[in-house]
Amino acid sequence: MAPQLAELIAALPETDAAAPAAVHAGLPDLLSRSSQRPIPIGRFQRLSALGTLQAKIGAAYLFHWLRGWFKSADENKRLLAEAHWKTAVRVLDSMSYLRGAVMKIGQTLANFPDIAPREFIETLDRLHFDAPPMHWSLLREMVHNELGDDPENLFESFEKQAFAAASLGQVHRARLKTGEEVAVKIQYPGIARAIESDFRNLFLFMMPARLSRDWENTKDQLEDLQRRLAQEADYVLEADNQRKARALFRDEDGIVVPRVFPQYSTSRILTMERLEGTHLREYVARNPSQAERNEVALKLLTSWYRMMYAGRMHYIDMHPGNYLVLEDGRLGLLDFGFIISLEGEEWELFRKVDRPLTTGRREDRIAVLKEWNEIRDDETDRLRLIDEFGAWCWMARYRGGVYGFDDEAEFRHGIDLFTEMLRKRYSRGRPNTPAMARGHFAWRALMYLLKAKVDIRSLAEREVKATGWDRSDYAPSP
Amino acid sequence: MRITAAEKQATRGRIVDSARELFRTRGFDATTTRDIARAAGIAAGTLFNYFDSKEAVVVTLAAEGLARARAEFTDRDAGGSLEEDLFALISAELRQIKPLRKFIAPVLETALSPLACADRAGNHEALRVDHLELVAEIARRHDLAEIPPMALEAYWALYTGVLAFWASDKSSKQEDTLALLDQSINMFAGWLNSAAGTPR
Repeated sequence: MAPQLAELIAALPETDAAAPAAVHAGLPDLLSRSSQRPIPIGRFQRLSALGTLQAKIGAAYLFHWLRGWFKSADENKRLLAEAHWKTAVRVLDSMSYLRGAVMKIGQTLANFPDIAPREFIETLDRLHFDAPPMHWSLLREMVHNELGDDPENLFESFEKQAFAAASLGQVHRARLKTGEEVAVKIQYPGIARAIESDFRNLFLFMMPARLSRDWENTKDQLEDLQRRLAQEADYVLEADNQRKARALFRDEDGIVVPRVFPQYSTSRILTMERLEGTHLREYVARNPSQAERNEVALKLLTSWYRMMYAGRMHYIDMHPGNYLVLEDGRLGLLDFGFIISLEGEEWELFRKVDRPLTTGRREDRIAVLKEWNEIRDDETDRLRLIDEFGAWCWMARYRGGVYGFDDEAEFRHGIDLFTEMLRKRYSRGRPNTPAMARGHFAWRALMYLLKAKVDIRSLAEREVKATGWDRSDYAPSP
Repeated sequence: MRITAAEKQATRGRIVDSARELFRTRGFDATTTRDIARAAGIAAGTLFNYFDSKEAVVVTLAAEGLARARAEFTDRDAGGSLEEDLFALISAELRQIKPLRKFIAPVLETALSPLACADRAGNHEALRVDHLELVAEIARRHDLAEIPPMALEAYWALYTGVLAFWASDKSSKQEDTLALLDQSINMFAGWLNSAAGTPR
């Protein structure tokens, strides 16, 4: 069993101290039964019983949502959901090559601090950095295949042990012959096509489910995951995104995107400048001052807005593991594996969002949200909820002034709204909507993690200028 | 006129070298035994004193490559896990016989396949024995006792299966073969270890 998954299983709570004793009494039995039978999730049961890999991918992803649904259910149901989670993790453990996919789901969950238990999130964070490596012989062959020579000939030095797990692969420290310290990200052989084919089969297997009410939503979520994995498997695309993002920042921004070394990069290997620093969660654990945390928060948001407005790139992976606070105070951005490119129709829609973001007027917000999420006039509850979530996401910006992101009750309110949206399956809309919703939730989660108190309106006003939009009828005069 | 053993050896070498070059430049199918003989500077019929067929020349080329790979593996400081060492051995072999990949099928059929070896009468037995001896040696190095004959049979079926997959692997740079090899070896090593009672 892969150690990181063993840790994951160990970290899942066996019991919940807050749960009634009666529930506890039945739990061991429940766990043992649930580990022996197929994962009981309705129509997926048949798929799981077939023991197909594709069913397991689907199950893994659905469990991620399931957790959200059960969070506000009663204790009994929640414990049942946890037992199912446990089973799912065990099932997934049998599929070593899906490690990447499992980790991705883990990272997504780690963005939802209060949906998953704290211990669970901390384990997932470790999972992100401690995954065991492909052995050296396999790695050597991958490097030889991709770059035409063995790592010991190509590089001045190359560490045999991976120092981080990456999407669908792992990362090694190395030094180029020209002296640069680099991080070399290497993908598992064949994993991209294996996952692609699993998804094809999954959709085939799910044909009978197409008639059901939930199909569209389930399909959206799976397509979201599929799109994400396909993008992340393409290191050429990632290198392009990274180069594009790097060009957006100047020295005075104090934000650094690692340089890519194209002569040592292919679709399966990505070699980039190595940044040394402290990951965000570790940084927070060192109790930096409010001013220091604010500084990091401002850089983090500047990077997000800069990519969005000047780069037309929506950076979705706002996971604490993707940010490094460097010794000199600069902020390092890692992992450009999942970027939504804002082009054409999407950019036009995005432009329209600027109005409610700026005015804060409800009618402006409603108009945009209806269009973006394709909400019909008779979907009053959906509109209400999405509007409330929109207001929660954007409030800090349209209100202006210093905003305290440290308010637990307010943050919890956002989680409740987000969870309710998931539970009611309101996240459908345009193909990218689930990912966008995650991105919006994620930046608030990071601000809360930093307990930041910052003025994001003035920062955003500065960044939005790069678009050249005519905002004269709603924006404040400069 | 008597031909000395040294001359025979030299002629054989010329045939093999010519065949390697012709296969590389023209491809296996477009190369005839007549072409090989001409390039080696011998009469067409003379070639058959050395090799039964064009396929037999490929077997010899493969055998040379495999021997080079084993030597390279033995010279290298292995020192990895059982899985890693086995992977290193086979991947070194694949690298050496890569130029033959597109026409390796005859080698598989006549020399390597478990079916071809069933009677153990051919001249190709050495190919199999040499490889398996090294595998047994690797297992001993990892404190595993003698591998039972049935386990070696199973290993050979896996090994030739990976080679057959590789021969027709259409994935980019045959990366799927690497994944298959990795998983096959994990399976075999896991089995050996559990049979030997080694905790995993």
